[in-house]
Amino acid sequence: MGVAVAVLWFVVVLAIGPQGDLTGPASRMLAIFGAAVVLWITEAIPLAATSIFVILAQIIMISDEAIVALPDDFEAPAYEDIFATLANPVLMLFLGGFVLASAATKYGLDRNLAGVMLRPFGTSPRSIVAGLMVITALLSMFVSNTATTAAMMAVVLPVAAGLPDGDRMRVALVLSIPVAANIGGIGTPVGSPPNAIVLGRLTERGEAIDFLRWMLMAVPVAVVVLAAAWVLLTRMYRSDTTHLELEVGGEFDRRPSAIVLYVVFALTVLGWVTEPVHGVPSAIVGFVPVVVLLATGVFTVDDLRRLNWHILWLVGGGIALGNGVADTGLDVWIIDRIDWSGMSVFAFAAVLALLSLVLSTVISNSATANLIAPIGIGIALSGVVDIEPLLTGLIIAITCSLAMALPVSTPPNAVAYASGHVATRDLAVVGIIIGVIGVVLTVAAAPPVWRALGLL
Amino acid sequence: MSELVILVVEDEPDVRAQIVRDLAVFRRGIRVDEAETVDDAEAAIAEVAAGGDILGLVVADHRLPGRTGVDLLVSLDHDPELRHVRRVLLTGQAGHQDTIRAINEARLDHYLAKPWDADELVTVSRSLLTDVVLDSDLDPLAYVQELDGPRLLEAYSQQGRTD
Repeated sequence: MGVAVAVLWFVVVLAIGPQGDLTGPASRMLAIFGAAVVLWITEAIPLAATSIFVILAQIIMISDEAIVALPDDFEAPAYEDIFATLANPVLMLFLGGFVLASAATKYGLDRNLAGVMLRPFGTSPRSIVAGLMVITALLSMFVSNTATTAAMMAVVLPVAAGLPDGDRMRVALVLSIPVAANIGGIGTPVGSPPNAIVLGRLTERGEAIDFLRWMLMAVPVAVVVLAAAWVLLTRMYRSDTTHLELEVGGEFDRRPSAIVLYVVFALTVLGWVTEPVHGVPSAIVGFVPVVVLLATGVFTVDDLRRLNWHILWLVGGGIALGNGVADTGLDVWIIDRIDWSGMSVFAFAAVLALLSLVLSTVISNSATANLIAPIGIGIALSGVVDIEPLLTGLIIAITCSLAMALPVSTPPNAVAYASGHVATRDLAVVGIIIGVIGVVLTVAAAPPVWRALGLL
Repeated sequence: MSELVILVVEDEPDVRAQIVRDLAVFRRGIRVDEAETVDDAEAAIAEVAAGGDILGLVVADHRLPGRTGVDLLVSLDHDPELRHVRRVLLTGQAGHQDTIRAINEARLDHYLAKPWDADELVTVSRSLLTDVVLDSDLDPLAYVQELDGPRLLEAYSQQGRTD
């Protein structure tokens, strides 16, 4: 069904061809863009397959190797450059994050750190939930939201199952993990694919920001949403239980290879946050641990094979799509379809945030970012709305991650739902409130603060 | 959705009923079928396949009328469609030679001596069924509650769903 609609769109748009101010290249890009929209929304084919379809279609339709010749006045992008989006610096940064996270899991670093950090939170259920949320959010800033949720949920499930029947604390415990993982993913450029997609788009359009600046802007938002979520969960699901014991982690691995990992991990994060001092881009810093961990055998070729390469492709396709839309002028054509004169900055930001939130609630966060970032950031750059491209990007990235009202919204939600301890209603109530808080923060509350601090 | 099936092969009705009661802790997505003889068992296995369900575990007594439980387990190993099925021998009467044959030729997963401990039967079954889910393309999340949740979650996170 999805494939049929995509093919139909593709064929019809190509058949109609250039019209008025829609140029030949832009009309071809419109065919590709529309097909990608349908395929990413319906997931008729795997998300990563749509991504590489976008890359192939752009190469054979709008590059210098296009099969059907393009107008002479169009500066066609080199096909090598379109392929090269699969090695875009943002993807290399993400690869560094993947390798570090995967090695950390391999050596139990995530669990053991969680155990150490959970100890000061004591044994009262409310503070345990707080502890779980802080730790989960911190881990998911560097490890994928899904892997963090699965690891932490494995700790929480036995405790939740041990609570007396009808104790609502169970819902708070189980929900706290995916909620915190989704929120924590906002924190760093490597926290979640939408961040990489937005960062890639900003970089390609000359609006790059460094790792630390992303964190300075996003972490406070994450902290506020996390605190609100904690209040919400502990108020909604009160407990008669006064004492909880959680068994997390054990002895830290002291083998030499584990020590190498700890040092490399710490140095990489240090390198990322000190970019303003040394000026080495985070993608280059992030590539160092890939080399070191592989060379020292801490991370093996077998481990390398198991990385989630398809997620890198998913991001790469999004970057390629954004470039194609900009190169062909399709973004300008789409922007020209709308009368922007009555649109205030606030109204635009609100529409963008709500659109990202709603779309990402039902489809993948990354696919949403892939679709909305090229147009959203394109609008900001074109100047029809007086909004900073960076703010536009952050709104998209943050609201995509905060969409968690349904079991299908994100894999972390699916994990919580599968535990059987939470109902769709629980997810919906908590998810909608968090989503709304996220929209209000990014659209209204945070931008003045970011501006005052000189971050925007 | 297709179900995961445990097949209990035991000729004595009381004993069979007890095994089925012990395994009744598994509910959602998991079903227990019964058979009296190896012929019965083969018919039940054919039915499972016809219904689009997945045979995960066979718990068989050794001494049965006609062919033995070990015969059945060996024949499972020879069928490419059924090699993934986990095998438990639950018996009091298997001799030395039968047991050796079960281990070597039927790649027995577990041997339980009668009288058995219900908790051990459930623990062993849970662990073996978890293996089956992880080896198959069944959705690990669908079995988090019934089987080994932490192991299934670990596998789910390795599948690399997109955030």
